[in-house]
Amino acid sequence: MAWSVRFSDPVPYLKGLEMQHRLLAARQADTIPDTVLLLQHAPVITLGNRGRDNYLLKTPEEYQALGIELYHAERGGDVTCHAPGQWVLYPIIRLGANGGDSHSYLENLEEIALQTLADFGIEGFRRAGKSGAWTTAGKVAAIGFRLKRWVSFHGMSFNVKNDLSLFQTIVPCGLEGEPVASMKTLLSDKTPEMKEVGDALLEHFSKICARKLDCFEADEPLPPKLATLLFEANAK
Amino acid sequence: MSIPQDLFYAKTHEWVSFEEGVATVGITDFAQSQLSDLTFVELPEVGAEFAAGDEAAVVESVKAAADVYAPIAGEVIEINEALEDAPELINNDPFGKGWLFKLKANDESELDRLLDADSYDELCPAD
Repeated sequence: MAWSVRFSDPVPYLKGLEMQHRLLAARQADTIPDTVLLLQHAPVITLGNRGRDNYLLKTPEEYQALGIELYHAERGGDVTCHAPGQWVLYPIIRLGANGGDSHSYLENLEEIALQTLADFGIEGFRRAGKSGAWTTAGKVAAIGFRLKRWVSFHGMSFNVKNDLSLFQTIVPCGLEGEPVASMKTLLSDKTPEMKEVGDALLEHFSKICARKLDCFEADEPLPPKLATLLFEANAK
Repeated sequence: MSIPQDLFYAKTHEWVSFEEGVATVGITDFAQSQLSDLTFVELPEVGAEFAAGDEAAVVESVKAAADVYAPIAGEVIEINEALEDAPELINNDPFGKGWLFKLKANDESELDRLLDADSYDELCPAD
């Protein structure tokens, strides 16, 4: 059994990061099961572990003036951005003996994105040497994760109907000249609701990573241990 | 998934080969396969001292970064400098040319806390 928690309101990046760190420590100590967060972030640009800031096209001051936060994340991968209208999937899961882990975790995350696109009639595909989920209009899902004691955190972002102009202020994933797209780019007024897409992402996560999910909404009653880890800043 | 019989294993997917007080440490075939093509390795400094379980290195692929832990306590006496230009050696030969660092062991009895190949195999997912 694993848990999932969906947040309906945007979560500030730092708050999301702190939640991940508390869940990571608890998962490493085996006091909680694998736990998946599904959330949207307030507008933010994040750099990967090796932090190549030459892929930022504006100065920190200019980002600040635009109301966009900027963070160094400890995950793999390069620069990306998050904003409402984009689902972010943060599986805090131990990779190992689970049958779903016999494929590489990177491929599993890509597969979750591709099958979710397919649910809504969009043909997604992989591109050799360029990870993530791609469509004819551009890249829809970006991946970057970190393993500490083989518990993974960070994960994948999936563009549903977020404002893509934010991506024009960076070189996404350090891939110059490669377009970024969302489901809305391809489906326009037929774009599904965020909730439907979120349901699909969790369902495919459960199948592909072979983890049966007990699904919670963040604003509804949660297991006490989980509520403490998510919402109490001093939780250990 | 290859798991050589003559090595020791940590639950965090490092392997150890031990000879004359020196532990050669790398990451397992399962570990490298989960990370995909490695692009960068951050190795410890020669002379660094670790306790068992300390973070000793970071291996990074295009989309993933993973911490590597010292399986036993000791002092780093050699690092695999070839990985600086060719981190893919870890993917291609995880138990051979892809070794990460060598530790002069403080206490050989710590090897007893590591897993043998059969026990480690149980920690890896069945194909």
